[in-house]
Amino acid sequence: MSTHWAALLTDADCDSSLRIDPIGISVWALQFTPRVAKSDHAVLLEVEQSLRLFGGEEHMHQLVEAGAFELGVSRLAWAPTSLAALACARVGIRDGSAGPLAKVLDPMPYQCIDAVNKHDATLARLGCRTLADVRRLPRGGISRRFDSQLLLALDQAYGLRPEGYPWVTLPETFSAKLELPGRVDTAPGLMFGARRLLLQMSGWLTARQLGVTAFTLHWCHDTMRSKDAGDGGELTVRTAQPTQNVEHLSRLLGENLAKVTLKAPAGDLVLSATEVTPIIEQSRSLIPDDRATGEAIDLVLERIEARLGKKRVLRPVLTEDTRMEWMNHWQPMNAKRVATKVRQVPGPQPTWILKKPLRLDVHGDRPLYQGPLQLLLGPERVEGGWWHRITDAEGNQHALNVARDYWVALSQHAGALWIFQQRLPKDTAASWFLHGLFA
Amino acid sequence: MPALLQRIVNAEPHLGSDTSQPFDVGQLPNSVSSAIWRGTEVGQAGQTVVSSGFEALDAHLPGGGWPCNAITELLQPQPSLCEWRLLSPALAGLVASGGQILLVGPPKRPHAPGLVKLGVTEKNLVWIAADTPAERLWTTEQLVKANPRGGAILAWLPQARAEQLRRLQVHAQSCDCPVFVFRPEAAQMDASPAPLRLLATLGTDWQLQVQILKRKGALMDGSISIPSIPGTLASVFTPRLMRPSQLIAKTEPTNVHTLGSAVNRRRLRQLAAH
Repeated sequence: MSTHWAALLTDADCDSSLRIDPIGISVWALQFTPRVAKSDHAVLLEVEQSLRLFGGEEHMHQLVEAGAFELGVSRLAWAPTSLAALACARVGIRDGSAGPLAKVLDPMPYQCIDAVNKHDATLARLGCRTLADVRRLPRGGISRRFDSQLLLALDQAYGLRPEGYPWVTLPETFSAKLELPGRVDTAPGLMFGARRLLLQMSGWLTARQLGVTAFTLHWCHDTMRSKDAGDGGELTVRTAQPTQNVEHLSRLLGENLAKVTLKAPAGDLVLSATEVTPIIEQSRSLIPDDRATGEAIDLVLERIEARLGKKRVLRPVLTEDTRMEWMNHWQPMNAKRVATKVRQVPGPQPTWILKKPLRLDVHGDRPLYQGPLQLLLGPERVEGGWWHRITDAEGNQHALNVARDYWVALSQHAGALWIFQQRLPKDTAASWFLHGLFA
Repeated sequence: MPALLQRIVNAEPHLGSDTSQPFDVGQLPNSVSSAIWRGTEVGQAGQTVVSSGFEALDAHLPGGGWPCNAITELLQPQPSLCEWRLLSPALAGLVASGGQILLVGPPKRPHAPGLVKLGVTEKNLVWIAADTPAERLWTTEQLVKANPRGGAILAWLPQARAEQLRRLQVHAQSCDCPVFVFRPEAAQMDASPAPLRLLATLGTDWQLQVQILKRKGALMDGSISIPSIPGTLASVFTPRLMRPSQLIAKTEPTNVHTLGSAVNRRRLRQLAAH
């Protein structure tokens, strides 16, 4: 059975100064194949069985390389065996399956394979430089003079013997840590490191076929902090729909981080997926859509909510109440809604409502709002609310009782209005309020 | 084909030549005559439209309704004057097919029970309480980019500048739902990139006076009167209340030229001339 290996070197120097965590990389790589192994500072993955799922060899290469590049891995190679891939990655050959394996491996220095490199001193004195030189030595002599590992490794690299690895298993929960290269003073500056962790999380989610609904970014302040700053802080971001989409998650996190002020410079980041649910991937259509749809509207609303705040993107909930103020209330997008059918109040209802009724001036007996108002229809008596008690700031309880006569009034400039007259004890002047507009 | 071309050439009136043979569109093949647009006609929208629900208004709108893929500017003398009266027939249709109505920064709180009676059900209503002009613009742009198919975006952008609206308009070209931008009446003097601009004012007896300030095709003089009793009131009005102007005339001498009057400009002008 042919095999297709990739080797990702995590110990190589890379331009960004972030240290690469091999465990994180192997968790990320598990989204492509269950056969991921970690050997010292390299991550090896065998993808032969997954090639078709990811749209062929070329597409697979692109996917892995793009992801690895974002995670900071700059050196990786492909080859038919794992040791050959590792060797190719070390010398900087990207694709080791271009020619016959022996031709690719023979000119390489023997230091590329760890088991051979162990006998560096002896081999060098024997006059060996390349792997071909080592192979030319008599096999019987090698096995007697060196340990059996050398021959085994050589045969495995050349594909003559099967390779076996203890595969990395997928952790049950996700939590990844990242050490930042320097102290980060501002919360948005954490985004760079956080994005890398989000990528790892997305890999874990894909492998587990889960979608995240809440994740927590925890940052630890470094030791030079002031006393009152505490150990660190954390930020939990929630999404309405379970998702694996890194772009969406990082935009949400970015919006939320923009509102955070760090009490002290941060040194470490920990990202954990706190709430996950199984996700069902959408099946794609064979026929291309005529116009690319933007993001789903729920995702956009969620992003708007992340920037504006929880109480700014609202959906109405109707309640059975005759008082205007409590006929409907507004709740955030994600809040649970009761699915009961609400009976509607008979009679007319305005379309806009004032948060607080506006007291109207009265000229003679008639209320004024941008000129005198003509009362058209009424009164509609709304009374009740003695059961609705609230406690105000001073701790006093009082009932939200109303006793009002509603009228439809016509203003020449403002159209039809919904005004009410407060019903008061005798001998008190009637007061008029504007409460809604029939716009 | 050459014969046809010959006919077209012949039919063209030459300067100074005998014009006893007037140009007749009927001579042209259908595909050609349907592609001819005359300056006096209302333009074609060239994209999908959503019927406004008012026949008189549809007749004057390019394509016969509120355009999708473009922003529509609605000017009013004061905010929260006649938004729902003008739009609710169209919005009710969109909601019935499952569209979301997205409100960005409305000047007052929407009252859901009243809107439900107009056909805008509470499940399909989203109120985004964006306060600052920058927030409103950003939110509107994000929504337009997201292309909420089958729904509608209603944005109150009184302070938007022309270049900001242009940006919205460019994004709206790839948005399959109508985008309404509400602005004050004073904005009619400013240039605007919106392909359709309307000024809506209150008329007498529950009519809305709609003036099309800008549209594809010929300019429109005068205004259209569309009868529109605020949705929930129609069922409870008596015939007498259908004509409130008579009622007012009886009770008081009208005083039209008060603060912010947009009802009768001509009359004001006459008064000023005296």
